[in-house]
Parts: sequence; C-alpha cells; structure tokens
Amino acid sequence: PLDPASSLPVPQSFVLKCLEQVRKIQAQGSVLQEKLVSETCATYQLCHPEELALLGHSLGIPQAPLSNCSSQGLQLTGCLSQLQSGLFLYQGLLQALAGISPELSPTVDMLQLDVANFATTVWQQMEDLGVAPAVQPTQGTMPTFTSAFQRRAVGVLVASRLQRLLELVYRVLRHLA
Amino acid sequence: ECGHISLSAPIVHLGDPITASCIISQNCSFLDPEPQILWKLGAEQQPGGRQQRLPDGTQKSTITLAHLNHSQAFLSCCLRWGNSLQVLDQAELRCSPANPPAVPSNLSCFMNLTTNSLTCQWEPGPDTHLPTNFTLKSFKSRSNCQTQEDSIPDCVPEDGQSSCSIPRKHLLLYQNMVIQVQAENALGTSLSPKLCLDPMDVVKLEPPTLWAVAPRQPGCLWLHWEPWKPSLFMDQKCELRLRPQRGEANWTQVATLPSSILQHELCGLPPATAYALQVRCIRSHLPGHWSRWSPSLELRTDDTAHAR
Repeated sequence: PLDPASSLPVPQSFVLKCLEQVRKIQAQGSVLQEKLVSETCATYQLCHPEELALLGHSLGIPQAPLSNCSSQGLQLTGCLSQLQSGLFLYQGLLQALAGISPELSPTVDMLQLDVANFATTVWQQMEDLGVAPAVQPTQGTMPTFTSAFQRRAVGVLVASRLQRLLELVYRVLRHLA
Repeated sequence: ECGHISLSAPIVHLGDPITASCIISQNCSFLDPEPQILWKLGAEQQPGGRQQRLPDGTQKSTITLAHLNHSQAFLSCCLRWGNSLQVLDQAELRCSPANPPAVPSNLSCFMNLTTNSLTCQWEPGPDTHLPTNFTLKSFKSRSNCQTQEDSIPDCVPEDGQSSCSIPRKHLLLYQNMVIQVQAENALGTSLSPKLCLDPMDVVKLEPPTLWAVAPRQPGCLWLHWEPWKPSLFMDQKCELRLRPQRGEANWTQVATLPSSILQHELCGLPPATAYALQVRCIRSHLPGHWSRWSPSLELRTDDTAHAR
C-alpha cells in the first residue's frame, strides 16, 4: 500500500527539478564510473563493487537506510527524510574521496557539489512543507583512508551505491510526477 | 611643520563646494601669539575663513569654497609676517566633470554547462571620468528571493570588463539566488536592480546536432538529431523548420517534438527539391531559453514522384 502521496502537497516544479537533478547526477556518476572502470578496473582489477562490500564494512562506510521509500510501502514524509539523509551521506563520502587521483578528482568534486545541491533542494522543500526534522543533519565521522587502494576501492563502492540510490529516487519521483 | 591643510574630499564634482581647514601649530614660535590665517586660491585671496583657537593652543581656520569651477587649482594657507604674506601649506584641489557612477543596467546572466559557471553581464552606464570599480554581489536565497541566506564571495570582473563569472563551487543549483552589480568611484556608489534567479533556469543551451538518414520513401526527408550533449539530462522540446534552398522562401516550422524523439520524417514534399533544415531546443516543463538554431542541414528529395 502506498502512502497517499497526494496527502503531502509536493509541488510539481519541485518534482520536475528533482527529476532533472537526478538525471544530472546520474550522468556525472556514469562519467565517474566510466573513469573508475578505465583506471581502477583495468589497472587494479577493482571492477565489481560487490567484491568490496566487506572492505566497505570494515572501513565503516555507512549505508543509507531507505525503508520508507520501498515501492511496497512508500511513506512519503519518511522517504523524503531518508533520501535527504542518504544524499547528505554521499556528499560526505564524496568529500572524503577528494584527491582520489588527479584524473578522477575533478569529476568527484563536481559530483559532490551536485549531490550537495540536491540534498539542499530536498531539505528546503521539506522545510517548506513543514516536515523537516527540527535539527539539520550533521555529517557523521567519515572514514579516513590509509592507502590509495582504499580510496580507489571506496570510490568504486560509493559510485555504485550512489547510482542505486538515484535509481530509487527516480522511481519515487516518477511516482509523484 | 608650521601649517597643515586638510580637505573635505580629494576630488570634487564640478560646481560642488569644498571645505578646507588649516592648523597652525604652536611650534611656529617666531609668530604672533594670535596670527591671522589667510587663504589664497591660486593668486587670489579668499575671504570667509573662520578662525578659532583650539584647546591645545593651536590656531585653526576653516573655509568653504562654494562653487569650484577650476579643473585644477591650488589652495594656500598663509600668514601675514611683517609686510609679506607667507605660504605655510598648499593643497591641490582636483575637480573634474566626474560623476558618481550611474546605476548599472540590463543585468542578465546565463549558466554555462561546459564551464559550470554562471556568467553575468551588465551595462556600466556613461563614463564617469574617474576610476570606477564594478563588483558582482550575490547571495543564496529561497523561493521568491525575499530572504537572504549564505552570501557568495564577490565576483570582481577583469579590468574594463562588464561581465563576471561565478564559479560552480559558489553556486547552489536549483535554488534561487539574488544578484546585483555595485559600481563605485571616488564620488559615490550605485547598485543595479536585483536579479532573482535559479542558475539552472538560465542555462545557455547550444544547438542540437543534425544529420541525414536515408529516406525510406520518395518525396520524404528523414533526419536525425541529438540535443547538445552536456544538456542531455534536461527534458527538452525541439522545433524543426525548413525552407527550399532556391529563391527567397521563408522558413516553415514543421514540427515541435520532445527531445526524447530524435528523428523525424517529412513527407509530401515535391521531388528533386533541395531544402535547408534547422532545429532548436528549449528546456521543457521548467523555465529556460531557446538555443540558437542549428547550422542548416541541406537535403534533397528524390527525383521520383511523391510518396502516397
């Protein structure tokens, strides 16, 4: 059962802007993944994010909970909050990846700015709807990387998980459109 | 130093008043205890000096020259000493047809998706005859720009330029921001009207790319296009127009299509006719500006009869 999306008066302009932002970030994310594949996969054989799950867990890479956004039980207010927190988390992870490599850094920096702006768009809309949590989320402690390998591996992991988050966001937004 | 002049302003606007004061210090011991301070503008003595003794014993005279109409003049602070008029200090009065800066006008901005920067340009207004600094001031805001949120570092244009680019890292895309131009010179400051915009609503779209596809039937033209690559994430609608190449025919707009449709077939055209075709696109569902028309694609219908 879906929470009646119409119970929350989400403006169509917000939905349209978000759809565009998702596509913009997905395009950036794809560029990052292509570069990662050509650099990290070819040279270091770090090609499959699923092989890096344990490493991610050991480094304390958090996952974004998205239980309120599942298609079986979309709870819109909770979903918006989880999406915003998820975007905020990936903004932090991308910041932690700054300086990953001279070739990847410009793409990571631009992606981080776009993700940060999208998190702000969602947060400000939640404020306008009066459903924003009382306190703005603060960035938790981000992992620190002790080797170039860790930074590359987390880069592959973050890029892949961010795309998955965005696919879910797009589905939720299409539902609202 | 016996005497010292100070001026109300280093430069004055033509016809404006200027006030000067001259202080005679006590260590001019060879002077009368109550020396009378006199003023000369160029060679002419100027009446109207108001003299007073300060608590520390120094003498101060103040004079206001009502309408300065020399582009340049020298004001002297003098004392009568014996039979002569002694000049103790001199100040250059600069007055020019200078003006305070006019209000900058026609402020407009566009977002460049290649450089990811927001470029704003404006009309500086008439020459002020003085060095005038322009600064692009902006701050983040919310929906209708009534609130001021984080301010954005000033954007200082290169010398003589009437445009400035705000880099991506200072921009908050998909949110409104307020932008204004400040002009400043020695005679004053002026501010342009405020502009309230979301950078993504003023994206400058480049034209799409067109290419021909082999027509499937006589009397038809078939073409394919792709919106400008950096803007592929934007939903767009595109207009297609054509005109015969021979003669001075006007353009005929033949279709408006969403950017998701990347090809179009035109039928019912006379055979053996050369056409020029162009496409332009604009963001759909959300504010945006039309791209320029694409360069013309020249195609020719087959020599055989129309398609039914």
